[in-house]
Amino acid sequence: MNFDLSEEQQLVSDSIERFVLNNYDLESRVAIVQQSPGFSLDYWKTMSELGWLGLPFSEDDGGFGGDQLDTMVLMEQFGKGLVLEPFLASIVLGGGVLKRVASEAQRKAWLEVVIDGSKQLALAYAEPESGYEPHNVAVAGNKTNDGYTLTGTKCMVLHGKTADAFVVSFRTSGGVVDQSGISLALIPADRDGLTVQGFPTVDGLQSSELTFNQVSITADDLLGEIDNGFGALNEVINDGILAVAAEALGAMEILYKDTVAYTQAREQFDHPLSDFQVLQHRMVEMFMEYEQCKSLLFRATMEVAAGGDDAQRCVHALKHLIGKAAFFVGENAVQTHGGMGVTEELRVGHYFKRLLVIEAQFGNTDYHLDQFSA
Amino acid sequence: MDIELSNDDLSFEAEVREFLAGNAYKDGEDPNKWRMDWFEKAREKGGWDVPKWPAKFGGPGWTPNQHYIWQKETARSSTPWDMPFGLSMLGPVLMAHGSEEQQERFLPDIRARKVNWCQGYSEPGAGSDLASLKTKAVLSEDGSHYVVNGTKIWTTMAHIADWIFCLTRTSDAGIKQEGITFLLFPMKQEGIEVKPIITLGGSHSVNTVFFTDIKVPVENRVGAEGKGWTYAKGLLEHERTGIAGISNSIVALEGLKDKASSVKRGNGSLMDVPSFKAKVAALEIDLMAVEYTELRSLATASAGTAPGPESSILKLKGTDIQQRIQKLTMEAGGQFSAAWGGTNAGPDFARAGMGGYMGSRVYTIYGGASEVQKDIVTKKVLGIKSSKK
Repeated sequence: MNFDLSEEQQLVSDSIERFVLNNYDLESRVAIVQQSPGFSLDYWKTMSELGWLGLPFSEDDGGFGGDQLDTMVLMEQFGKGLVLEPFLASIVLGGGVLKRVASEAQRKAWLEVVIDGSKQLALAYAEPESGYEPHNVAVAGNKTNDGYTLTGTKCMVLHGKTADAFVVSFRTSGGVVDQSGISLALIPADRDGLTVQGFPTVDGLQSSELTFNQVSITADDLLGEIDNGFGALNEVINDGILAVAAEALGAMEILYKDTVAYTQAREQFDHPLSDFQVLQHRMVEMFMEYEQCKSLLFRATMEVAAGGDDAQRCVHALKHLIGKAAFFVGENAVQTHGGMGVTEELRVGHYFKRLLVIEAQFGNTDYHLDQFSA
Repeated sequence: MDIELSNDDLSFEAEVREFLAGNAYKDGEDPNKWRMDWFEKAREKGGWDVPKWPAKFGGPGWTPNQHYIWQKETARSSTPWDMPFGLSMLGPVLMAHGSEEQQERFLPDIRARKVNWCQGYSEPGAGSDLASLKTKAVLSEDGSHYVVNGTKIWTTMAHIADWIFCLTRTSDAGIKQEGITFLLFPMKQEGIEVKPIITLGGSHSVNTVFFTDIKVPVENRVGAEGKGWTYAKGLLEHERTGIAGISNSIVALEGLKDKASSVKRGNGSLMDVPSFKAKVAALEIDLMAVEYTELRSLATASAGTAPGPESSILKLKGTDIQQRIQKLTMEAGGQFSAAWGGTNAGPDFARAGMGGYMGSRVYTIYGGASEVQKDIVTKKVLGIKSSKK
């Protein structure tokens, strides 16, 4: 049994930690958030030069042959700085579908430019009425002579405004909530009939809504087999959950450690706040939540990477626990910081906001509890 | 024990409903004119513009049942915005401790909503431990005025306030609760700088306020020098019941249910999802209980006796409930609650989702953080004295 990082993983982790420390203090992050496109193109370039964008792709695809554990190492460090660049959207989600089901031609056309950061992908699966169910797909592909036309709306598409192409789920057969009958396509952002409306989210990231108005797709655009897209989509969403869970873990580490430091520095009633037992125990509980999340993150990530039978259950369990802990750690970090905790001036609030968005992403805490117990 | 409303209460309830319905805001009306007219008409009803003021100062002198009815009915109606600082916070202090001259000078403008007040209490080094405040007021040699220097923080609406009521330190001798003096002075003067604090919901309502050599005539001191803490404590008690917001929570809970019912989940709505439904139900049960806790507290208050131990939990439970309503509203909006403008995606109510939730975190911090409230209950209600601290 061994829970240590490999030498390579440790090197990557250290190098990302340094990058975050040097580039992602609160002031720098706020400056990036306020400028279009909402992340730093320079940092994005750096990430590609350091090889991080190629981490989870096979060597044949031009990557480094890493798996979910390598992504976990990276995302945890990203979480400590609330990194804004579209690694999740383009590499884990969009790239995640391509590496699983794209044709030779599609790989050639896209993976190299995705890995070198010159093009970005985004994943469009959620719909206004789909709730948290990835198999709830109403956008229908209407058969034409040489393909399909799509009409409808996809929403909460992370980093859609800067994406060069979208991986889109649509229905080619079956009922709205059937897992079979879902197909996937790779649709360039400039395709006729496709409009992308970008908007910011409370965590400083960029999301978007996609409107399809008679968008034509041909056989060349299809990803994988018709009607059989759900398997790959679900695997990618699981990868997304593992990634944001690792990010949340990094963010929670900052929150509990900042709280411990703050209570030691802040004096009220002629004592540092850390002298008060009610706060001491609260911080112990924050730390306990953090450690429990770390354990389940390791468990779920290893299980998924190994393709174990228990992988799906572990992912549901993880997303539930992360969401529960995110509320507990975030709310208590803010409460313990008092008035300062609810201002934009301290970083705790910013970390808490990111945790809130993660909690609602890919199915919230309750949804995954329901799935786990189903 | 009896909770039935009397016939008098029922006719009062009808009268309140008629008044509120008849004076509700109509589309296209000038909101400012409507607001001022509303207060004028409420005044003509016999002090309805200042429901909590005693009859001696022009209030309606209602029974607890009448207060309860008013609170319940106004929570469901369109009433004009109002600020509590002059009306509910300074007003009672002036009535209890101000000179007659001060009462005549300040109360009419507060009542007419002509002068906006803000509250200068917290300081960067004095939050939960308010009594450690350091803003200095030094009496001039001729005894005609104080000179005030220092910094206040979390001052709500300082940027639009005309006047401030301010706790200042006039002496360092003795325990820190002594030597605090309650002063009133105008905000629009040289030597006062107001710096906005932007909170997590992205909004600006609180500020840091800096005082440099502000001259305050002694006639603007409320009560005796060094006794300000006693006056302020009474005021904080008042603030603590006021911010329980129970009637508003009852209305907000109904709103939450409507919102969740409009969100589709499977073949039904979010209100059909057992885990969500259970949380709403648990919230409703807590709210049903705290509503009666407030009524019990109201009943003791009206009997003229000191507030019972039940009052001490009102702020704690009331704010917890407000936060849970915001949290469930955010959850009902799902991932759409993350949107920060610029989209119409998802249900309309989701637009305020995470902003509302984050804004609500302050409820358990302001007006005495929950931890401090519990310390007070520990000492005052449970009677536990700490042997060391």
